[in-house]
Amino acid sequence: MQRRNSRWLIGAGLLAVGSLTLTACGSGSGFGDTATNTDGKLTSDSSQGLNILIGSSGDAETASVNAAVAAWSKTSGTDAKVSVASDLNQQLAQGFAAQKPADVFYLSTDALAGYASNGSLLAYGNDLKNRDDFYPSLVNSFTYEGDFYCAPKDFSTLQLLINTDLWSQAGLTDADIPTTWEELATVSKTLTTGSQVGLAIGGEYARLGAFMAEAGGSLMNADSTKATANSSENVAGLQYAQTLLNDGVMSYASDIGAGWGGEAFGKQLSAMTIEGNWITGAMKNDFPDVNYTVAELPAGPGGQGTLQFTNCWGIAADSPNQAAALDLVEQLTSKDAQLTFSEDFGPMPSIMSAADEWKSANPTLVPFLAGADYAKGVPNVKGSADVVSDLNAQLESLNTGDPQAILDSVQKNLEALLK
Amino acid sequence: MSTPVRTSRRSSIRGGETASGWLFTAPMIVLLGLFLVVPVLMALWVSFSDWNGRGSPFAGTVSFVGGANYAALLGGGGLAEQDFGTALRNNAWYVLLVVPIQTMLSLFLAVLVNRQILRGRGLFRTAFYFPSVTSSVAITVLWLFLFSSSGAVNKLLAFIGINGPNWFNDPSGVLHNILGVFGIESGPAALTGNSFLGISFWEWLAGPSVAMSAFILMAVFTTSGTFMLLFIAALQNLSGDVVEAAVMDGASGWQRFWQVTLPQLRPTLFTVLTLGLIGAWQVFDQIYTGTQGGPGKTTLTPAYLSYQTAFTNQAWGQGAAIAFILFVIIVCFTLFQRWLLAEHAVSARRMRLYVQAPTSGGTK
Amino acid sequence: MSTTIRPTPRTPSPSTRLKSLSREPLPTRAIAGRSLLYAVLIVLAIIYVAPFLIQVATSFKTDSDAASNPMSLIPATWSSAAYERLFLNSDFPVWFKNSAIVTVFVTLGRVFFNSLAGYALARLHFRGRNVIFALLIAVMSVPGVVLLIPKFLVINQLGIYDTYVAMIVPLLTDAAGVFIMKNFFESIPASVEEQARIDGAGTFRVFWSIVLPMARPALVTIIILSFQGSWNELSHFIVATQSPELTTLTKGVASLASGQLSQGTQYPLKLAAAAIMTIPVAIMFFIFQKRIMNTTDGAVKE
Repeated sequence: MQRRNSRWLIGAGLLAVGSLTLTACGSGSGFGDTATNTDGKLTSDSSQGLNILIGSSGDAETASVNAAVAAWSKTSGTDAKVSVASDLNQQLAQGFAAQKPADVFYLSTDALAGYASNGSLLAYGNDLKNRDDFYPSLVNSFTYEGDFYCAPKDFSTLQLLINTDLWSQAGLTDADIPTTWEELATVSKTLTTGSQVGLAIGGEYARLGAFMAEAGGSLMNADSTKATANSSENVAGLQYAQTLLNDGVMSYASDIGAGWGGEAFGKQLSAMTIEGNWITGAMKNDFPDVNYTVAELPAGPGGQGTLQFTNCWGIAADSPNQAAALDLVEQLTSKDAQLTFSEDFGPMPSIMSAADEWKSANPTLVPFLAGADYAKGVPNVKGSADVVSDLNAQLESLNTGDPQAILDSVQKNLEALLK
Repeated sequence: MSTPVRTSRRSSIRGGETASGWLFTAPMIVLLGLFLVVPVLMALWVSFSDWNGRGSPFAGTVSFVGGANYAALLGGGGLAEQDFGTALRNNAWYVLLVVPIQTMLSLFLAVLVNRQILRGRGLFRTAFYFPSVTSSVAITVLWLFLFSSSGAVNKLLAFIGINGPNWFNDPSGVLHNILGVFGIESGPAALTGNSFLGISFWEWLAGPSVAMSAFILMAVFTTSGTFMLLFIAALQNLSGDVVEAAVMDGASGWQRFWQVTLPQLRPTLFTVLTLGLIGAWQVFDQIYTGTQGGPGKTTLTPAYLSYQTAFTNQAWGQGAAIAFILFVIIVCFTLFQRWLLAEHAVSARRMRLYVQAPTSGGTK
Repeated sequence: MSTTIRPTPRTPSPSTRLKSLSREPLPTRAIAGRSLLYAVLIVLAIIYVAPFLIQVATSFKTDSDAASNPMSLIPATWSSAAYERLFLNSDFPVWFKNSAIVTVFVTLGRVFFNSLAGYALARLHFRGRNVIFALLIAVMSVPGVVLLIPKFLVINQLGIYDTYVAMIVPLLTDAAGVFIMKNFFESIPASVEEQARIDGAGTFRVFWSIVLPMARPALVTIIILSFQGSWNELSHFIVATQSPELTTLTKGVASLASGQLSQGTQYPLKLAAAAIMTIPVAIMFFIFQKRIMNTTDGAVKE
């Protein structure tokens, strides 16, 4: 009996010792949550190469980023490797938790708050040489609690893309390009035939939100301090989309066998789509035979409206070679690099000095830049990404759903975040 | 012979065995302890803490928050509770359909394949068991192709005049669809007005979504083979005496199966049901590969939600809490099923009936 | 020194006894019944096998052919574009290499460690044996999902995150395998070992030279189950690694399915990847299928 007791004690003791060892190891390797080193300097362990993690929209973007990074790598002498994420947020979160994150990565506006608040990010915005060249609204999107965290890499707006061949086949001309909601509905109806639908878009807030903006509403106010999800304007926007869906003149891309609006448009399953700048790269690479034109989205009851998207180059606080990372980011946000990106896969440069050159190089894409004047951003308060995913889940059945009820639930969830 | 010598030899052998015993089991103890026991304890701590994902969970900055994570999931009134309720509902329907169907189908296949008059038995067994050896990732990729909107399954349905749904993109509940055929579009106020875990009772009764149904079919496809083998082994271990006695007593084929064969399969049935339940409540690989919880969150399961909450949303405490709640659910279901299938002692009255009519023939 | 143990002859199964009844000419009703049986079985077998045939056929089709003729088993034009893309333009060879490395090490490890522990629990008498066995049962009942997050935490804390070590070491032993080995060792008579012990052989020597060779059937079972388990493992690799160089086939094909390397409808590519992924496990299955069919006896006795 005593032998057995001692075995138990030994076993329990081993377990306790084991756990303590683990905690010792753990707390030894995990320092606190300051964003930069205590002396304010950037880390610069030059033996370490850089890992860059991107969420690519397609082969065009991947190739373009690879080329730009390789060029920098050659001139700077630092190794750099680009990986494409299959789930960017999950891979970032896992990397941060393991304290082996990618050094440089795409960071979206809604992910900023979460990672900034737990110290995963380096707030290097003010160290950028070209800091004053960025559009102020973009700088604002990436400022959290007064710190400018990361350099905006580009921005895009949503506009209407029209397949010119199908357009003229249906007997439509330039004068018929819709400028109001009624005209859009009419044109979509004309373009809907047995083999194609007039308009195909992704069934998510990131596209349907354009209708909400055209009705004059948005999910939150301009500085994300108040939730305005269930306003009558937003309801009107969703009701308009619902009518288009139920009339059969608009479809979700997934319902007609495409992965996104661009694929539906490129495979000519639809005559029009609402997408952002990134579609140009996909069209050039994957669907070069489709002739299309870009038009500004029609105005709704609230005037012209669209959504604006922007990402930045995040640098990890745990990166061992932050100095090289900063150098890379400055290179990637320089005028030449951004104009090359734009040519390869479409988004607009985030620096003001490139605007004129971009306009003259891309005369057909000017509507995207025009949208910057009236575009609304997506919410960026911490936790809003989850609320938007829940909204997206409900929007999947918008054709039979109740817009007011959907938006009421979003309002409730957003208000819970602001408490 | 010298018994004392033998004893001392044996005790010295046995004494040496203690060291060997511990040494032999040491790798297993270390590995299982380190990667099974310690993780569970660590996760338990994380579920009661506010660790945010950086640094060690045991660092000084991490504090004990009691049941806050659990409370948010079970009654917080926000998105966390709603997502958890949705995941539970989806997985409950999945379990409700997968476990009985796969058990019945595997038993059916086993009975068929076990027939003594059958030729090519090995071939059939191979065909039915093959899906079980493939990886769930590979099967999910195959299923995504077969069940796409213009895929093989819909083509097959078109042959018999049915317009197949866009399987993996259809979030509508199957029960609601059936009720819709009878004109019932929305539920009574009692069901839609009240909710549990953030979902109205009407939504709880929506049934699995069409997308989830495709996953249910996949689960039956891949696991029926394994359980079929278990049943075949059990059927082959049955002695023919009892069956012969039943034949001689005039029992029909059906009666023989239900009253004689099936009760003898009780241990195997128990194993199959237990394994089926445990497996069905942990659906993860297929969701991760296939739909990632969509469409409309109707293929969200607690296992995937736990992963997503922790690894994507960085809410590690909540993710761990979801996992432990799921653990409790699985244990409860297993215990309930064990109670249901337990052998109850035959009552005295019944015993008297049997004792009066001695059985003939059945000797061992 | 080792004497071979002859397996005890099995009692004749009911099937052999009743077979004698079927030698007489059958009435038509029985023939109809038998045809029905065969028909049902053949239809079911087709349902079970058809998806894989379609999978292989589609992997040799072009993208548009796959989309327009999903059910045909013969491609309109044979195209190996999917396989070319897979082997030349993607990381598929790396995935295959990683899966192979992990599977080989895990299988070897499990064979060794499981048989060691199983032998100790079955044959060696030492204090705490029952405690360990009880803990083993308890551990077997923990559902895998609970371990997803915590395994990541432990791997992280141990500092082995994102290495081959993290992929292999946690999988080197499993409770079910120890259970199978223990059951098997208990079922073989102890006389041979006793003899060797009395002759003075040490415990490990007895285990390695005498008992292990006798355990071939169970070892083959462990090999099959470990191979299958580690080749098809997904969630452990998700939490153990993040870098692309360490991606295994399961993670890689899963990312294919979610559209990283391919568009939504590049089915031939995805199906080709899934097909190649299935081949090694299928080969193991066909070689060892008799063993698999016979090992389920042990499971029932649990």
